[in-house]
Amino acid sequence: MLRSLALTMLSAGAIAIAGGAQAQDDTLKVGMSGGYFPFTFVEQDTLKGFEVDVMEAVAEEMDAEVEFVTANFSGLFGMLESGRIDTIANQITITEERQAKYVFTRPYVYDGAQVVVKEGNEAIQGVEDLRGKTVAVNLGSNYEQLLRELPYADEIDIRTYESNIEQDTALGRVDAFVMDRVSASQVIQEKPLPLALAGQPFSKIRNALPFRDTEADRALRDEVDAALTALREDGTLAEISERWFGNDITRP
Amino acid sequence: MSVLDFDYMVGLVPILLRYLPLTLAMAAAGMALALVLACGLAVIRVLGIPGLNGVTLLFISFFRGTPLLVQLFLFYYGLPQVLAFLTQINGITATIMGLTLHFAAYMAESIRAAIVGVDRSQTEAALSIGMTNGQLMRRIVLPQATRVAVPTLMNYFIDMIKATSLAFTLGVTELMGATQKEAAGSFLYFEAFITVAVFYWVIVELLAWCQRRLETRLNEAYRR
Repeated sequence: MLRSLALTMLSAGAIAIAGGAQAQDDTLKVGMSGGYFPFTFVEQDTLKGFEVDVMEAVAEEMDAEVEFVTANFSGLFGMLESGRIDTIANQITITEERQAKYVFTRPYVYDGAQVVVKEGNEAIQGVEDLRGKTVAVNLGSNYEQLLRELPYADEIDIRTYESNIEQDTALGRVDAFVMDRVSASQVIQEKPLPLALAGQPFSKIRNALPFRDTEADRALRDEVDAALTALREDGTLAEISERWFGNDITRP
Repeated sequence: MSVLDFDYMVGLVPILLRYLPLTLAMAAAGMALALVLACGLAVIRVLGIPGLNGVTLLFISFFRGTPLLVQLFLFYYGLPQVLAFLTQINGITATIMGLTLHFAAYMAESIRAAIVGVDRSQTEAALSIGMTNGQLMRRIVLPQATRVAVPTLMNYFIDMIKATSLAFTLGVTELMGATQKEAAGSFLYFEAFITVAVFYWVIVELLAWCQRRLETRLNEAYRR
């Protein structure tokens, strides 16, 4: 017992030291939640998704290595801020608040905010029916902001979640959730949850990669931006999008 | 909804097993370090060493008075904004440090209680035959206090194993982080979280078994 404890401790120490030693500069460190289907998720212990494919293509275009760092969404901006990652590939929407603090690449996904309800819920046909309802959004996402900007925002009971908003809507614990149209459609199509889209998307959103606003990071942003542009022009972005969504979400 | 997808749960077991060593290693390292720190803090409190006693009280007050998750965020994301070199610390190390500091505060108090609980006559007898304070602690008080402290310390160890599930907020994919990501890919939340719950439960039960054996050994001298 004591010996195996000592062994596990030694290995923990080894992992900690090995982890501390890796700080190569030619590696693009990309943070993502691993919990946002189909953009970033895990199947059979393998990280997959649209974001993973895009960032791998970007790294190849830049002739750099890419390292994915997964963490709870609430930890991602802290990681970016404290310099542990270079950028976040998790469908980060460009907002004024974020632009005040970070520099973004050009958008690589154009999407809309979508209300999703439990299947059979006819009472909610779109964003205008959310008055007096309980609506779930992901913590730190911009959908909470979008809801708060509605003229009748104070009549909506907005609940912020760390994860699992689809599940709680399917269970009927909340009346609806708001998420981007693309992944909402994907969830409904592929997953065994009784959910349905309610009406049309209600706001245009543009998603891009944020970088810290320092000289070195702006230079890195420019490099990544150039790679994204090249991938857009040679059709790689469209191809990755077609593969995951059946249409091109990378154009307005 | 449909019934439990057993095939999925069975398939998840070997995947989660890969993350088990990390969970156990973080808890074991945290426990070992916390024990050392807690013993030091407890002795300072018992002896009432001037100056140090005040610092110890403040330490215990802070780490017992704020949630572990707040402490982890503070040290991993907050402090590096002020002290840049702290970004060198990776998530695993930060988790172990957080567990150590947090649980040492609790354990110090339970060790102190065990020390204070050793009968006064034992101390008097030791001092009367000329033992120094250090000898008194090492040879007489701590061995007896250990027996009393073991059950509560095991409680903290069990709690610490489960507390490692917070590490995914620091980007450490341990048992819980792996489960969350797998659940995001399959949307089989019930299956995924039941599986991981059984994992934790089995670990804790194995530990409880070890605890019973350890207690039997420590109680040998007291058997009548």
